[in-house]
Amino acid sequence: MRLIDKVEAVLFIADSPLTADYLASLIGVPIFEVEDVLERLGGKLQNNGPLQLIRIAGGFQVCTKPEYADLVAQFLQPQKHKLSRSLLEVLAVVAYRQPITMGEIDEIRGVQSDYGLRQLVEKRLVVEIGRKSSPGRPLLYGTTQQFLHTFNLQSLEELPDIFGRKAFEAIGSDLPPEQPALPTLESETGGLVEEEGAD
Amino acid sequence: MLFLMVKDRKIDLLDVPLAPICEAYFRYLLQNHREDLERSAAALAALAYLLERKAWALIPAPEEAEPEGDDLLEEVEPYVQDFHPAIVELLGRREIREKLFFRTPGQGELPYELPFDTSDVTAGDLARAFERLMERAKPDPVTPMSKPRRSLTEMMVLVMKELPADFASLDVIVVGDFTRSEVVWWFLALLELIRLGQAEVSVSETDVFFRRAGHETD
Repeated sequence: MRLIDKVEAVLFIADSPLTADYLASLIGVPIFEVEDVLERLGGKLQNNGPLQLIRIAGGFQVCTKPEYADLVAQFLQPQKHKLSRSLLEVLAVVAYRQPITMGEIDEIRGVQSDYGLRQLVEKRLVVEIGRKSSPGRPLLYGTTQQFLHTFNLQSLEELPDIFGRKAFEAIGSDLPPEQPALPTLESETGGLVEEEGAD
Repeated sequence: MLFLMVKDRKIDLLDVPLAPICEAYFRYLLQNHREDLERSAAALAALAYLLERKAWALIPAPEEAEPEGDDLLEEVEPYVQDFHPAIVELLGRREIREKLFFRTPGQGELPYELPFDTSDVTAGDLARAFERLMERAKPDPVTPMSKPRRSLTEMMVLVMKELPADFASLDVIVVGDFTRSEVVWWFLALLELIRLGQAEVSVSETDVFFRRAGHETD
């Protein structure tokens, strides 16, 4: 069996993004070989057939090409979950200022954000990532891997630089050591497609 | 009076020892716990306010250096309007993402959603039974010291003992005096027993009936 076929088989069946590192350890080959194969596989799929290989949410995943979207949507009939303007506002504040407390979000927005934040947590776009070392030890919130997946982002670095510098450069540095900066791939991408309507 | 003087900044709270005031208040509650709830609550709120104010006064204020140059810009909190380009970008990316379809993940079994069958009993029926039980409950007495609460497991054991072998309504099963918090705790234990299949529930037009699991319907 060729390495490219092995990688394609695993990616074809995977229901969440897989990292090159994971693929390398799964198949038992050096990571540089997997990276090379991923590049070739991406080119191969791009030139032939309805599938493509994309980088998303910190990994690689196979999906359908945009030109087949209407047909696939007709088959799957996914439910559309639109995010309201206020939810998007809270999400953008969290994405750029994380780790951030609810009080800090309220301060920036000038209105209460508890409902919006709760909705985003339910949608798994935002998650509690620790507690701030200040009186009351308020909860800190950050975006999830599902956030990256939902908004077609490879990482937070792809968000536009709106403050003259990357606001999220310091993400993770302020967090308590026992708290993960972002949730694990398995736990957070698992429910994505279900929420999007089985796309 | 102390509350008003502190509120009007006529005295420095740091000079007032609050421990004797707290003790006096607790003594008052212990001796007059059946008195007016509103007055007790108002006194407690005033005391909590004083304690919070004093706690804040005791916390040393951080010495903040005056920001200079670039630091000054970084200190300024952004306005929500500043996030508009990010929102536009997110909307654009979501639009692209909606045209991509991925493999549907398998439906893993949710650990908490153990299968249990309540046949034709709905959540509304259970809520009705709970409501009727709550109507019979008395308000919790105001006591300064909280009672040690049983764990849910301990409560489930107690509820199991009280559940009859044959279906009966809660009017029959739960007798005597009880408070609202006891009802909440009792009913939670009952729901947990139903979820675990150790208790059974049935419904008629007028009431909801419960019994221990493992008995044939008469």
